[in-house]
Amino acid sequence: MMSKPRKIIHIDMDCFFAAVEMRENPALSNLPIAVGGSSDRRGVLSTCNYLARKYGVRSAMATAHALKLCPDLVVVPGSMALYKSISQQIRDIFLRYTPLIEPLSLDEAYLDVSDCKLFQGSATLIAESIRRDIEVETGLTASAGVAPNKFIAKIASDENKPNGICVIPPHKVSEFVDKLPLRKIPGVGKVTAEKLKSLGLNTTADVRSYPFDGLEQACGKLAKSLLDKSHGIDDRELSLDRVRKSVGVEHTLSHDIYSRDQVLRVIKQLLPELNSRFAKHKRDSVVHKQVIKLKFDDFKTTTIEKISPTLNESLFSELLTGALLRQENRGIRLVGISLGLAKPQTQKQMVFDFL
Amino acid sequence: MKFAISREDILKPLQLATGTVERRHTLPILSNVLLEITDGVLSITGTDLEVELVASVELVQASEDGKITVPAKKLFDICKGLNEQSLIEFVLDNNKLQIKCGRSKYSLSTLDAKDFPNLEDWQSEINFGVAQNVLKNLIEKTSFSMAVQDVRYYLNGMSLETQDNIIRCVTTDGHRLALTQHELPNERLQESQVIIPRKGVTEILRLIDDVEDVIYISVGSNHIRLNNENFTFTSKLVDGRFPDYRRVLPKGGDKTVTGEKDYLKQAFSRAAILSNEKFRGVRLNLAQHELTITANNPEQEVAEEIVDVNYEGDSLEIGFNVAYIVDILNAIESNEVKITLGDSNSSALIEDNKDDASLYVVMPMRL
Repeated sequence: MMSKPRKIIHIDMDCFFAAVEMRENPALSNLPIAVGGSSDRRGVLSTCNYLARKYGVRSAMATAHALKLCPDLVVVPGSMALYKSISQQIRDIFLRYTPLIEPLSLDEAYLDVSDCKLFQGSATLIAESIRRDIEVETGLTASAGVAPNKFIAKIASDENKPNGICVIPPHKVSEFVDKLPLRKIPGVGKVTAEKLKSLGLNTTADVRSYPFDGLEQACGKLAKSLLDKSHGIDDRELSLDRVRKSVGVEHTLSHDIYSRDQVLRVIKQLLPELNSRFAKHKRDSVVHKQVIKLKFDDFKTTTIEKISPTLNESLFSELLTGALLRQENRGIRLVGISLGLAKPQTQKQMVFDFL
Repeated sequence: MKFAISREDILKPLQLATGTVERRHTLPILSNVLLEITDGVLSITGTDLEVELVASVELVQASEDGKITVPAKKLFDICKGLNEQSLIEFVLDNNKLQIKCGRSKYSLSTLDAKDFPNLEDWQSEINFGVAQNVLKNLIEKTSFSMAVQDVRYYLNGMSLETQDNIIRCVTTDGHRLALTQHELPNERLQESQVIIPRKGVTEILRLIDDVEDVIYISVGSNHIRLNNENFTFTSKLVDGRFPDYRRVLPKGGDKTVTGEKDYLKQAFSRAAILSNEKFRGVRLNLAQHELTITANNPEQEVAEEIVDVNYEGDSLEIGFNVAYIVDILNAIESNEVKITLGDSNSSALIEDNKDDASLYVVMPMRL
């Protein structure tokens, strides 16, 4: 039986952190700005505005590098608490339209409006109304993608950014997918794209006509999803209660460190934060393992972990011993500790067999 | 309609009838009680369409026949608030019930008595009498295992069985079962099984006292009625088949433990404090002459209790919902409890070692 096509909206705030900073301080509006850590502390940018993007500045770029591209760039430190409260405000707007919301981050979410009766069920009008609500109530703009599944909706929201909407109705999906560069498909990064190109695969049409075995050899587990997506198929439901699999904290040091004692001191500083982050998940998860992550001065990362049913401070020192065996005299620029989480083993009441 | 009655005489029947009235009801007349005077007798009726209670009282003062319905809660609160021992006069005048007592005057809105729903006529097939305290005991020993709003609607009540000279009450929520029975030496009852809904069971428990006075029970195919000189209580029955308790009774349990109920109850109740709040699981480790009860919760807190028991056999580890165990130990009268176990996936049989009229079965938990 063919089921009714779904109506998924992907809402993506336009350069969210930067937009919030411009709202809070209008003097910044006409300057290239970015939110992130400062260059003398080896910071990285999390967002920048469109003016900054003109200079080639991108998110996740090292601040020092961004300043080379755009010497006038204003780097602001960012105010997480404010972003969170605005994100909650936006989520409350979503809730007026549907309870089926999958937040991806503070500034992005999927909404399933298949059963929403507003606007005679028109997902396009619902998306426009949400964008209007967000703009009126927060002074920020969002872009929306409307499509029969998550994957198309997410790509669509990027089409007419900023402050735009792109609707891909079911009958337009194959046309849309045909034009889609493979690089835009989630899971296809630089390396996979190169690999596919070397096989002569440049478009989704190429993927569709390529033998599946070969596809599997080239990109392993990704092959199935790649083929589905090349057909415009994505049956994933919204995951409404995302269970956290880990909590962690890490710190990029202002200067490289070398000794075990120095690292231990950093870990001790990180522990209270790890504890408080874990506390928020105590209700529905238990500790499964402990992890230490070190990044060395050559940007190579090593992690080492051990199964543990509780958060055990001394285990971190034991793990560190193992991690430092891989140091090879390199300086350490980042220290992270995290906990792998698992669902608590549930107790199960047995029932009489008359049922 | 016109009558006068002392505050004390009307309060008790009014309280009984008001108890069945649902506070928030979609049908306005169901928040009312029906007052009816016939030949010098006042009867007060409350109903929620599932159960109905009629309480009667003979009037000492002269009265005029008639019937009317008035808001139950308001009438009760007014009467209760008047001075003790005072005489209250009621007159129906122009669709208002006028209440007069000394210098207090109240005028209550009414709804026509002909709109008051009464349960359809029915025939009783089985009739017997039983001491109120016996019935109370039967219900108290089993009612805690009734299901609450289960989709298997036939579990949301108490099975009442009659068989020769035995009446038997059984309740189960699918995890546990409680059974108790009583012999009526002079009765030869027709074999039957009916299900009294949860609301009916709790109402009965409210109506009867711990006294030896007899209450008469009549059972029809869709109704059960209890009556004595003070009230007539009728409940609809649950239309469904109650599961066969005989299939649930564990067979082949080879591990028999006896112990002091009070010690066990205290140990289980303490261990319960650190059990998982949602699942309430506790672990029982049975060894020679010793039962160890352990509990832990997501906060990694741990409880351990060791209780001396009479047991000589293989050791066994088994988990239970601690609330179910404590409920049963509360229902057992003597201080000697007998627990029969099989393996960790089989149900436990729990009994009062001094009384074989009752038995309890609990399914274990996987921990």
